[in-house]
Amino acid sequence: MKILVIEDEKELSQGICIYLGNENFVCETALDYATAMEKTALYEYACIILDINLPGGNGLEILKHLKADGKADGVIIVSARNSLDDKVTGLNAGADDYLAKPFHLSELGARVAAIIRRKSFDGNNTIRFDQLVIDLKQKTVQIGDQQIDLTRKEYEMLLYFLGNKNRVISKNALAEHLWGDDMDLADSYDFIYTHIKNIRKKFIQAGSPDYIKSVYGMGYKFGLL
Amino acid sequence: MKLFDKFNRANLIATISIFLLSSIAFYFLLRYVLVSQVDDSLEIEQQEVEAYVKTYHRLPEPVSVNDQEILFTPSDAPFKKRKIISATLRTERHDEPCRQLTFSINIDQQWYLVTVRNSLEDTDAMTHTIILITLITIGVVLISGQVINRIVLRRLWKPFYQSLDIINNFTISKDAALQLPDSEIDEFTTMNKTLSASIGKAQKDYALLKEFTSNAAHELQTPLAIIRSQLELLIQDAALSEAQSKAVQSADEALDRLARTNKSLLLLTKIENQQYAEKLVVHLREKIVEKLSQVISLYEAKQILVSTEMEETEILMNTDLVDILLNNLLGNAFRHSNDGGRLYIFLDKNSLVVSNDGELSLSLQEGLFTRFYKPSNATGGSALGLSIIRQICDVSGFIVGYRFEAGKHVFSINFTGK
Repeated sequence: MKILVIEDEKELSQGICIYLGNENFVCETALDYATAMEKTALYEYACIILDINLPGGNGLEILKHLKADGKADGVIIVSARNSLDDKVTGLNAGADDYLAKPFHLSELGARVAAIIRRKSFDGNNTIRFDQLVIDLKQKTVQIGDQQIDLTRKEYEMLLYFLGNKNRVISKNALAEHLWGDDMDLADSYDFIYTHIKNIRKKFIQAGSPDYIKSVYGMGYKFGLL
Repeated sequence: MKLFDKFNRANLIATISIFLLSSIAFYFLLRYVLVSQVDDSLEIEQQEVEAYVKTYHRLPEPVSVNDQEILFTPSDAPFKKRKIISATLRTERHDEPCRQLTFSINIDQQWYLVTVRNSLEDTDAMTHTIILITLITIGVVLISGQVINRIVLRRLWKPFYQSLDIINNFTISKDAALQLPDSEIDEFTTMNKTLSASIGKAQKDYALLKEFTSNAAHELQTPLAIIRSQLELLIQDAALSEAQSKAVQSADEALDRLARTNKSLLLLTKIENQQYAEKLVVHLREKIVEKLSQVISLYEAKQILVSTEMEETEILMNTDLVDILLNNLLGNAFRHSNDGGRLYIFLDKNSLVVSNDGELSLSLQEGLFTRFYKPSNATGGSALGLSIIRQICDVSGFIVGYRFEAGKHVFSINFTGK
């Protein structure tokens, strides 16, 4: 599967590509409007990350072309303008999601994963990871045959981790994802630790391996250790 | 005191005193002239008597007319000096002021003293009438002057008060230009021109400042995004040493604060720019319950006890701003609560009160809601939360207040705007 990053800031688009690219995803970049139009016309992408302000044109035009051609690519708009209008016009024009700069790569990772899931399985699916089975429709988590009761926040956290497997996720990014960024929770991350501790306990009690690893107090990493 | 009243008072005092002085002068002058006339008639009487005596060598019959009487008294010696004095004329009815002329006359070696008196009653009556008419005229002039002044001045000052009214209701943060009424009066035209110019300039400066803040904040977003993404890539590196990790982590935390501050500034600008103008009816109680359910795990982690006392309350407000307001209020209480503290939420038709345990009152009440206010002991936070709360209350027509009461920080929002 391929992901296209349409973003004129080279460092940012490369950063996104390095983060998102793995054994399953190939990530390409387009630094201007013309290149983006060409690539979107020629290839199919599982997900397109689209900046609105581009040299040579407006990102929304690319989106309109995609929709006019009936392409099924999932689109996430990323914009520095963080304005309600951009968000509303973007979503109305057929974008799947909207993310304001400066975003966390892990947040983007989780959203890309969600879009690809929706596009591939019409949102009616289960995620499997090692022994974990997550039913997205029922919002249930199982390990083997055993059901695990997770709180809403714990469930959201697990999905976030699954969108960013084998990546170190900063506590900041996690807090912002769970409680939104206008809570202004700077310097009070103890609650993240409490949540992680609870999830780990529930998993281990259900007989699963410990998937979550703490990384030097910076954040956490989810994966097969 | 109004300008007109102040001017009028000085003017009135001067006018009345001038009129009063001139009336007094007029009275005496008039009386002097009339008395001189009476004196003249006394002298004519003397000449007539002397002429009669010269012709007939006897005294004339004393004829007493209404206001004049003449008396002849035999005397031993001639009266040295002829003179006119003021005297009193006694009649049967009453005493009258009069002028009296005394002179002597010789008939066949016999001296007679002649006294002629002329009543002043008519003269006085005339003087009084004239003075009365004068005073009435002055009174009428003064009163009509006042009335005319008031009417005319009110009309003349009308453009001034109109301008004043317009400026009073004018907000510099609005985009509309100041529209002052035209006036035929040069002074007001000049005033309006000057006012329009200086307010226009202030408006332009304000718009520039706003634009600058907004542009600066927007332009920062992309570099912030780059730094953040690079830091996130860096922490993926398993080869980082613990010291390096710590360095990256503190950079990340500082970046987070910067991003937050920038976001808050953008939000403030947007609220100021009326980008959240659309208001809807909000069921505040349900909204708070929903918010609390989202953050309750946060409070539990800190063992903060939340107690609520809420009535069904509907307010008219922008829905995005409700979320931001509640997030800031609850986030603020969360950050400033100690472990095991208590949080109270009280809501009724008129107000929302959020209070949490605290040790010391926040000082500087005036500065509390201004941007970048920080109590000396606090760390972290963007220091814009309270200013966002205030800005939201301002555009929603609410009033936010803070007090420290019985060991609690109390933030109250009054929906009635009183």
